[in-house]
Amino acid sequence: MFSIQGLEEDNMSVVLDVKNLSMHYETLAGNVSAVKDISFSINSGESFGLVGESGCGKTSVAMTLLQLQPENSVITEGSIKLEGKELVGLSEDELRKVRWDSISIVFQGAMNAWNPVIKIGEQIREALREHYPDNSKQTNIQKIQELFKMVGLDDTVADRYPHELSGGMKQRAVIALALSCDPKIIIADEPTTALDVVIQDQILNEIKKVQELLGLSLIYISHDIAVIAEMTDKIAVMYAGSIVEMGPTKKIFENPVHSYTRALLDSTPSIRGEKKKLKSLDGEPPSLINKIDGCSFAPRCPDKETRCNPNEHMRLVEIATDHFVDICSQGKE
Amino acid sequence: MVVVFFLFLIISYLLFDAIPGNAFQNLLLNPSLPPYAYEETIALYGLDQPLSVRLQKYIVNFFKGDLGYSYIQFPKTAIELIGERLPRTLMLFSVVNILAFYTGFFVGKVLAWRRGSKSETWITITSVFSYTVFYPWFALLMLWFFGLKMGWVPIGKFLTPNKWYDSPFDSDEVFLEMIKYMVIFSLIYFVISILTKEIESLTQRRNIRLGSFFGLIVISNFYWNTGVLSDMRFYAGDIAYHTILPVLTVTVVAFAGTALLTRTTMMEVLKDDYILTARAKGLSQKRIRDRHAARTALLPVVTSFIFTIVTIIDGSVLTETIFSWPGMGQLILDSVLREDIPVAMATFSFIGVFALIAHFLADVSYAFLDPRIRIKSQG
Repeated sequence: MFSIQGLEEDNMSVVLDVKNLSMHYETLAGNVSAVKDISFSINSGESFGLVGESGCGKTSVAMTLLQLQPENSVITEGSIKLEGKELVGLSEDELRKVRWDSISIVFQGAMNAWNPVIKIGEQIREALREHYPDNSKQTNIQKIQELFKMVGLDDTVADRYPHELSGGMKQRAVIALALSCDPKIIIADEPTTALDVVIQDQILNEIKKVQELLGLSLIYISHDIAVIAEMTDKIAVMYAGSIVEMGPTKKIFENPVHSYTRALLDSTPSIRGEKKKLKSLDGEPPSLINKIDGCSFAPRCPDKETRCNPNEHMRLVEIATDHFVDICSQGKE
Repeated sequence: MVVVFFLFLIISYLLFDAIPGNAFQNLLLNPSLPPYAYEETIALYGLDQPLSVRLQKYIVNFFKGDLGYSYIQFPKTAIELIGERLPRTLMLFSVVNILAFYTGFFVGKVLAWRRGSKSETWITITSVFSYTVFYPWFALLMLWFFGLKMGWVPIGKFLTPNKWYDSPFDSDEVFLEMIKYMVIFSLIYFVISILTKEIESLTQRRNIRLGSFFGLIVISNFYWNTGVLSDMRFYAGDIAYHTILPVLTVTVVAFAGTALLTRTTMMEVLKDDYILTARAKGLSQKRIRDRHAARTALLPVVTSFIFTIVTIIDGSVLTETIFSWPGMGQLILDSVLREDIPVAMATFSFIGVFALIAHFLADVSYAFLDPRIRIKSQG
């Protein structure tokens, strides 16, 4: 316990600092605000979870960090600082150096993350070539072998084509690919969606293992709050493009404050706790095209009459150390 | 493939056999053949025997490479005529095919990449135009403009007779020399490309390839200055000069189909997840376009190209007639119109062989390009 404490203190430097980030997609029907005024920071070696239902902007956040969003998206304001270096407003060429070298990403659906006509090894070497142009072929091959060993793959996989691998192997190889350029942060965007539960568990352990081994920061994105609980030190709950509650994982699970977080936890069965009927929410998440005044969760909120203050403009307030919650749920307490 | 080939031989024979006024009558009515040639031809084709025997004889003769005399250009045999014409057609159309495929593929790839820009719109419209244009009209237009109006290139024919009047070389000799040179050149370059694949640094790889390309050009300069070739150069240049317009015209018409198809497939590919992976890896735009998107988009384009090869060969009849290019296409037309049956039959069969080989090569290249359809050779 003490050693962990010491480790944390050594590494308490902030790797990624996101402030007031907003992004929208320009569509024919109007602007879709997918990311609204989001702030969070990640320390080195820390794992950060983003949780929320489909379409709430989790992946948009991930894409915006690397600025890989589609062309119709615009970052309207905010800053993304990677070890003190501003990423918003960098040119494409400068961004290319940051991508994979500092932040790499494991996409949802590893099945399609590989180009079907290029060998796995070659696809990893390609990234190495881009970021370490002076490496010899031998060095790169050795590096790939090390990576494969780390994620539990055979050396021969490098000479195979993607269609010759199983889903789990592909996902392991994707993790090897993500690690190839020694990044500081790995974004895992629902990395286990397309896999069965057993493989899912193996992959999660694999990610956790390499993260601890290499001291990486991890941003883990999922709709599955159970997985998030297992994987992360700190989580942020997203709803309709904004963070509604953020704090250390343990605190949030023990004492969820925001009504949406509670609803999310109520909809997941727990092994240890008493048996409860799972609850589901009525209604649908709001369309992000329309501008929403006040709390975006209010129309579906089960507690809006009793404890909330839905007219307050959305912003996070700190209710305990490191525990932030949207001002709405603060309302009438 | 063998079965297809036999079917093709049989059907083409039966078709010619069905021409009113059969080969036998034609032969008897032909004044330009000496009596011994009559005898030989009748014996060779078994013209006085029933159909089944004739068919059998024809197939056997085809494999022996003995197809008798031409009725019109008597002392020459059908095979000799083809031997003279085939390289010309082959050369013209392999150059055109390769050129059309590469330009088409390149244009299509750039179009997809620049989707939505103004240049994309205009180039797409131009491509659709050249894809749908009535080909003979377009060829005549090109002839009129570049040949007559501007006078930059000769109007048709294979060479300029005046220049060849006291030439010490036969035109075919020169032409074969040119083909030999081109084949050697591309082979060497191909080998260099394969060898440089092992170099890990991309800039170094590109520099070496470019350097060796220019090196090859310098070397070929010396090559054409040695011995007989230095005299031949002048005549070779004349032939090359005559190939410009046909090559240009057919390329313009043929590239559009490839370009449009590449554009569509590439736009589909660009939506795929691995393009996002490639971008996230920090690869350059050009590398993503060429290595990831275009490489995968290539597969359906090659498939469709396999099917168009045959139409391009058929199209040689039109092209060669318009540009008076003395190749296989003209030979077919002449021999059919003048009922020179042995030559017509021989040319048909050879074009069949040609098409089959082209198909086979394309099939092989497809297996080479797409690892998913490769059959596993190692356990």
